[in-house]
Amino acid sequence: MAETMKKDVILSVRDLRVSFRAYGGLVQAVRGVSFDLYRGETLAIVGESGSGKSVSIKAVMGILANNAIIESGEILYDGKDLTKVKEEDFHEIRGHRIGLIFQDPLSALNPIMKIGKQITEVLRLKKGVSKAEAKEKALELMRVVGIPDVEQRFEQYPFQFSGGMRQRIVIAIALAGDPEILICDEPTTALDVTVQAKILEQINQIKKDRNLSVIFITHDLGVVANMADRVNVMYAGKIVETGTSEEIFFEPAHPYTWALLSSMPDLQTKDRLNAIPGTPPNMIFPPKGDAFAPRNACALKIDHEKEPPMFKITETHAAATWLLHPMAADSHVEMPASLKARIERMKRSGGLNG
Amino acid sequence: MFKYILSRIGAMLLTLFLIMSLSFMVVRLMPMSLFENPETDPEIQRKLEDKYHLNDTIPVQYFYFMKDIITDLNFGISVKIRPGLDVFGILVSRLPPTILINFISLFISIPLGLIFGTIAALNRNTWIDHVISVLVIIFISVPSFIFGSVLQYTLTFALPIFPTLYDSQAVTFAQKMHSLCLPIVALSLNPTATITRYLRGELIENISSEYLLLARTKGLTKAQAIVRHAFRNSLIPISNTLIGMITGIMGGSLVIEKMFAIPGEGGLLVKSIFAGDHFLTVAVLIFYSAVSLVTILIVDLSYGIIDPRVRVGGGKA
Repeated sequence: MAETMKKDVILSVRDLRVSFRAYGGLVQAVRGVSFDLYRGETLAIVGESGSGKSVSIKAVMGILANNAIIESGEILYDGKDLTKVKEEDFHEIRGHRIGLIFQDPLSALNPIMKIGKQITEVLRLKKGVSKAEAKEKALELMRVVGIPDVEQRFEQYPFQFSGGMRQRIVIAIALAGDPEILICDEPTTALDVTVQAKILEQINQIKKDRNLSVIFITHDLGVVANMADRVNVMYAGKIVETGTSEEIFFEPAHPYTWALLSSMPDLQTKDRLNAIPGTPPNMIFPPKGDAFAPRNACALKIDHEKEPPMFKITETHAAATWLLHPMAADSHVEMPASLKARIERMKRSGGLNG
Repeated sequence: MFKYILSRIGAMLLTLFLIMSLSFMVVRLMPMSLFENPETDPEIQRKLEDKYHLNDTIPVQYFYFMKDIITDLNFGISVKIRPGLDVFGILVSRLPPTILINFISLFISIPLGLIFGTIAALNRNTWIDHVISVLVIIFISVPSFIFGSVLQYTLTFALPIFPTLYDSQAVTFAQKMHSLCLPIVALSLNPTATITRYLRGELIENISSEYLLLARTKGLTKAQAIVRHAFRNSLIPISNTLIGMITGIMGGSLVIEKMFAIPGEGGLLVKSIFAGDHFLTVAVLIFYSAVSLVTILIVDLSYGIIDPRVRVGGGKA
């Protein structure tokens, strides 16, 4: 897959900086994020709450809150810079070119509008499709996302649907506009685990059938392993490590990625789970140097003083940590032994998707 | 749903019964006899007292009072204001002006409130919103008769555009409306402000809701999303405030009618209380209660029709 996706960049985010005006000052939520989305791939953006992942994609969708400022950077899509598109014109892109699946399906649907109408609405209003045709298409979409008894469900209201069913409807709504990019913002966080797996499978299937490019936002590394071709790890408004799924899971280079992987529960690990100590930094006053350094037990002296640049490891893999600097070779900081053992186990048991 | 309607109507009738009993009792406790005119022939007075069982014990009087109302809508006769006339007839004859000003106020204030509420919500925290909010607070907290006096002073005395009092000689509808303008305006301010305030709050909440964001991310323009999703959803809780508004307008019209000398039910109630025309007082009280109860019933039922969460779930009720 890696060879085909090389060529065609469909969405490109360049040095995006987003801040929010707040009472204490400017909250620098996103501090220079760059990434490319290739046609047909799934790109995961992983990070803790507040790492800036949702803000980045809200900037892509043009739905940032009113107190947000895009300070610099560009979002290139289809020859346009989306940061410069006016609000009046943005509705041509939302839904029709880029679709979004929400985190919380329970509050994302209008509680007093029939499910069917919520799906057909955009077809009727924006594509000028006839009523019967729109209904036909909506029913088909509902079947695609795995809803039984579509004819009857079409006439029902959101409160008659379970959480998983509502998320399927949200997906159907996102697909109604025939987008080529689908952004999933933690689509399964609000759902229970059994439903989660089904929804993810559905998204994967739809992605394949419709040749979609997917950006998948999550804090759940378990989900990433099943979904993503490439992974960006975000911390404190920056991408700290980027690579293919294999690279991130088997050869993580950034201490933050180590910490994330170590804090992920699995069935084999018998010892205590390593939670990451501390909390993410206050983004009104982002720390000097590596933002993760204060929470990092094996931080170097320079981590507290100077911000590390991205060090390239392979063509596809890069990480922002001084550990990769030639001069750090004699610091002997390595990934924790327990994580090493776990990665070995994963490799033996047959890779990521096994 | 049918069961629900029946239970609502049952509750309404029970409430009406309690109100009737209460007003019967309260009026019996008031001072002033029905017959104060020393020139009334004692013979006639005795006959009247007999006819209306006024010499019987209170429980017996109560029984006859209820029986007359339930069997033939007989509320008694007026003894002071329009001596000898049937109270129910007086009530009906006073109905048109009251209905006119109350309903016109309602129909003016609903659209105005919706417009101002929307403007305030869309321009949230700008000077437009602040101006509207300040006016809303004034109009909600100051009672309508104060505005009545202010309007009477400014627009009939200082700047004589409208007549001070209701023109009972008016023949055409236009003439009638001309003299009813001020009372209607005075009555409309409060409900307009109420709707504005509610709609502003509801709209702001709905505009920042997740489903509005979804409506926008699926490709609707901001205007389409707000009108089709936020506005529609805001109207449901608003429909509930109508109860308070209608009773509020009626309460205001009690005094306003008196101020502008409008021959309606409100003036009648005030007059009958002061004159000690007890049968009439009770009848007007019951009339007002019945109107309020019917309003509550209609709003309750329509709530079920507008809100699918009540309607569809209603099968269980």
